[in-house]
This record gives sequence, C-alpha cells and structure tokens, in this order.
Amino acid sequence: MATTADLKKIILEFAESYKKSKFYFNDMVHEVQKTVPDAKQRDIKKASTELVNEGVLIFFSTGSTTMYGLKGRGITNDE
Amino acid sequence: MPVGPVEQKKLNYQELRIYSDAELHNYTEEELKSFKVKHATPICDDYEKGPWPSFISDAKRAALHRHKLPKEKLMLSPDVIDDFLGQLELSYKEGEGHWKHGGIVGVFGYGGGVIGRYSDLQQEFPGIAHFHTVRVNQPGSKFYDTDFLRTICDLWEFRGSGLMNLHGSTGDLVLLGTTTDQLEPIFYELTHSMEQDLGGSGSNLRSPSCCIGRARCEWACYDTQDLCYQLTMNYQDELHRPAFPYKFKFKFDGCPTGCVASIARSDMSYIGTWRDNIRIDQKAVLAYVNNEIPRNGGALTGRDWGKFDIQKEIINLCPTECMFFDGKTLSINDKECNRCMHCIHAMPRALRPGVDTGLSVLFGAKAPILEGAQMATLTVPFMKIESPYDNVKELVEKVWEYWMEEGKNRERLGEMIQRIGIPTFIEAIGIRAIPQIVKEPRSNPYIFWKEEEVPGGWSRTIEEYRSRHKR
Ligand code: SF4
Ligand code: SF4
Repeated sequence: MATTADLKKIILEFAESYKKSKFYFNDMVHEVQKTVPDAKQRDIKKASTELVNEGVLIFFSTGSTTMYGLKGRGITNDE
Repeated sequence: MPVGPVEQKKLNYQELRIYSDAELHNYTEEELKSFKVKHATPICDDYEKGPWPSFISDAKRAALHRHKLPKEKLMLSPDVIDDFLGQLELSYKEGEGHWKHGGIVGVFGYGGGVIGRYSDLQQEFPGIAHFHTVRVNQPGSKFYDTDFLRTICDLWEFRGSGLMNLHGSTGDLVLLGTTTDQLEPIFYELTHSMEQDLGGSGSNLRSPSCCIGRARCEWACYDTQDLCYQLTMNYQDELHRPAFPYKFKFKFDGCPTGCVASIARSDMSYIGTWRDNIRIDQKAVLAYVNNEIPRNGGALTGRDWGKFDIQKEIINLCPTECMFFDGKTLSINDKECNRCMHCIHAMPRALRPGVDTGLSVLFGAKAPILEGAQMATLTVPFMKIESPYDNVKELVEKVWEYWMEEGKNRERLGEMIQRIGIPTFIEAIGIRAIPQIVKEPRSNPYIFWKEEEVPGGWSRTIEEYRSRHKR
C-alpha cells in the first residue's frame, strides 16, 4: 500500500514533467496508477488535496471545468 | 450519519448592516432621469425601450447609487458599473466579447465557488479589470428572510460591484464582479457572520437544489428539502474539491410537476412519485363538474373560460387515456397512469397523489454542447426513501465511481451513457433492466447473451442436450 506521502511524491513528479502545465484529475489518477496500480481515486484525491492546501498544487478553473497545475508552472499568477 | 436538524442562525440585519437607511436611499427618481454613466452607451440605452424590465436600467440605477455612496464604504471603484456598461456597449458595437474567463482564483481550500473573470481592455475599463463571480449556495428551496437578503446586499455593495443574479440555473446566488483581494474577506463574512457556504463550480458536485416541497406543497411525495440538505452536507468534499470528469448536478422535485425541472437540468434527477393509486374524492369531482369549485385552483383568470367540461378538459387530455367518467363516477386505470399530473393540477380538491410515496431516479440530462440538449432517462422507477437515505447514497456512490473511472475528461454523465449505452450503464450500477425503463420495443432482432445469463454458461455439455434432443 502506498502512503499519502508516496502518492504525493508521484503526483509531484507528474506535475513537474507532464507535457502541459495544467492537467485533469483523471490524467493524474492514470499516471499514479501506472506506478501504484491499486491506488484508489479517493486516496489520490486526499493526496492532491493536501498538495493544494500546502500551496504546491493549484486549481485552475474555467468555471465549467477544473484542472490542476503545479504552482510556478505556466499561468499561475492571478490572471 | 444524518445531519441536523440544525438550528439555523437567525441573522439580525441591524447588527450586520454596513449602510444607513439614508445611504441606501441616496438618490431620487428625478436624479436618475438625468443621470449618465461615464461612457456613451447608445446601444444599451436602446435596449431599455422594450416592453420588458431591463437589466440595463437596473445597472444604471445601481451605478448612480454607487456614485453617491461614501468612498470609504466601497472597496471597489465607484465606477465599476459604468465600466461594465462601457465594455458591454463596445461588445454590442463590435459583436465581440471582452471577458477573459478562468484562472486560479478561489478561496483557500476550495476548488470551486469562484470563477475568475478579467477584462481584456483593462486600460479603457479599469473598474472591471478583475470581475470575478462568486457563487453562494442558496438556502433550501430558496427560502430567505429580509435580514439575510439585506445583509448579503450590503456585503456585496461593500466588497463587490453590487450586481447580482438571483439565481443561476444551478440555483446559487450569483454575485457578479469583485477583485481577487476581496475574495477571502467575502468568504469569511459569508461563513462566519452569515453561516452561508460557497456553491459548486468547475468539475465538482454543483449546489444541489430542490423544489419548495413539503414546506408548502401538498403534492410533495418526499421531503425534498431534507434530502437536498442531507446530500449537500454528506458530499461537502465533492462540492468543494473537484475530482470529477466534469460538472455533476443533483436536483430534487417533490412530484412529477417538476418545479426545479430536474428532468432537464440535472445529471441525477430525483422526482417524487407514488406506487399506489391517485386518491379520488368523488364528491369533489362532481363539485368541479357542477362548477362549484373553480378549476386549476382558481388559476385560470383574465377571461371567461366557460363552463368546466370534464370530458374535454380532463378525460380527453389524459396522455395515456386511462381515465373514464360516466357522469357520476370518475375512475382511473392507475396501472396506465404515467404521472403527468394534469388531472391533479386541474382538480386539486378531487384528486391527490397516492399515499405509498417515494421517488424515481433519472440520469443524464444536460444542456447542449455535444449532441444537443438531452432529458434524463428513467433508471430507477421507484425507491422508498427515508432519512438517513442510505439507499440513495449507495446509488450515488456507485454512479460516481463508475463515471470517474469510465468518463472522459469533460464528459457529462449523460454523454457517457450515450457513448457506452444504457445496458452497460445499468449493469455497472447494479440495476436490472425492467420494462419501465425501456423507451420503445427493440429494433434489433438479435439478442446477444452473455455467458452468465445462460444457464450452465458456455460450458454445458452437448451430451446433456442430446439426451433430450436426438440428432
Ligand atoms: S415539484 Fe411538485 S412537490 Fe415540488 S413544489 Fe412543484 S408541485 Fe410541489
Ligand atoms: S396524472 Fe396524467 S396520466 Fe395520470 S391519470 Fe391524470 S391525466 Fe392521466
């Protein structure tokens, strides 16, 4: 079983290296499950929520849909 | 765990108010007539001339009011609404929008509720350089008292543009236009002073919304407000932290009248219904026939609608032709009734929904983007429900689990169902196909059996078959 800390590390690596600076939740889940096949969506969400609360990841919302991104990569300032 | 009943805090506007009465009533109708906003707006002005109430007139009123408020009681420019109208005029003139949508703005810990919006003409219209939208989760059935409304209006005048839209199609109060630095203070006031939360936006569960239900309506087949509240509280994480492929909406109608139009506007629509018979008061039926009780609860007014004709107005209009009236007694073949509600609406004192009530669950309505608009599909014809609604939650979670796994990015539940087909969907959420959920007889003459549907599967031996069927 991967711990939240493990999942956070995988998510972070993905956020740093993904071809785009913003990604959907599902993209993140698929990536994590490549390394940890039995990782549950719920646990991945818990890990990503922690990363958001720590200010490492950010939400990027268009109003109708939401993406995640790494703070400092691509558009991450206000506007 | 069921939540509540929670003692709701009674707001006291006199304690929370920001503006005095004199400040709120700070202009005269005479002043309004000669008032001009900062920019010339001939096209907008023209739109005020039509027969309907105009949002342009409202905006001008609000602009004048803002100009006359003390500057120290406005956190945004007094010119916000002037600039808003100026940019709108330009968009009408050029036939092009000037808003930039989206971004990273929000309040701490929430992935929804705030929608970033910026002008792409910030030099020309500095007052609306930032013009973020804040969605506020509406109270159940949109019950407000004036203390609440006046408090939120003061707050929004002080920390926002003062412009709002009651309500967005999801149900929220939509507060239009504020700057990034005001978001946290607004959120603090909303949650701490007003005990009100932000609504959903983005790939979240959107603010669930319900009809007025048992609070006022005799047709409610379940307590829409309670179910809406319980699910809102139970799914806080889904409401505020986006992890779905796209938006997801719950709406609760207490009966098939559909006052919140859940069948057309929600991914998961709950519609109250009954499985016994429509209750008939034969005496009252005759009173309608003899014109002693006005039809439709007295709603048909404005002209002479003539004498009530039960044959023409009720029996012949029943869509399933399941009603009969022999001059004395009304009978209904309830097995055929599809709960259109027409007869009940027309003769509310004579006909009432049955007493064995519950709800139907339908999935997959959405507005057009792919494939056009789509109504929800009846999937669970009847479900008995009772707080804490464990059976409802179990169904919700099965659907989410499947959609989060199978749904593509930005694919609504209804679009996914269209792509994979209803049989696959109901199988995934563990529902047996039954005639009530079939729209029409199948047009495909072939039946494809799955191994588990055939006794003995694919492995039965030919010998056993041959023992009964000789070559
Ligand atoms: S949907 Fe039905 S129960 Fe709800 S308010 Fe409308 S008529 Fe009443
Ligand atoms: S509710 Fe509609 S379908 Fe049912 S009996 Fe009345 S008119 Fe007919």
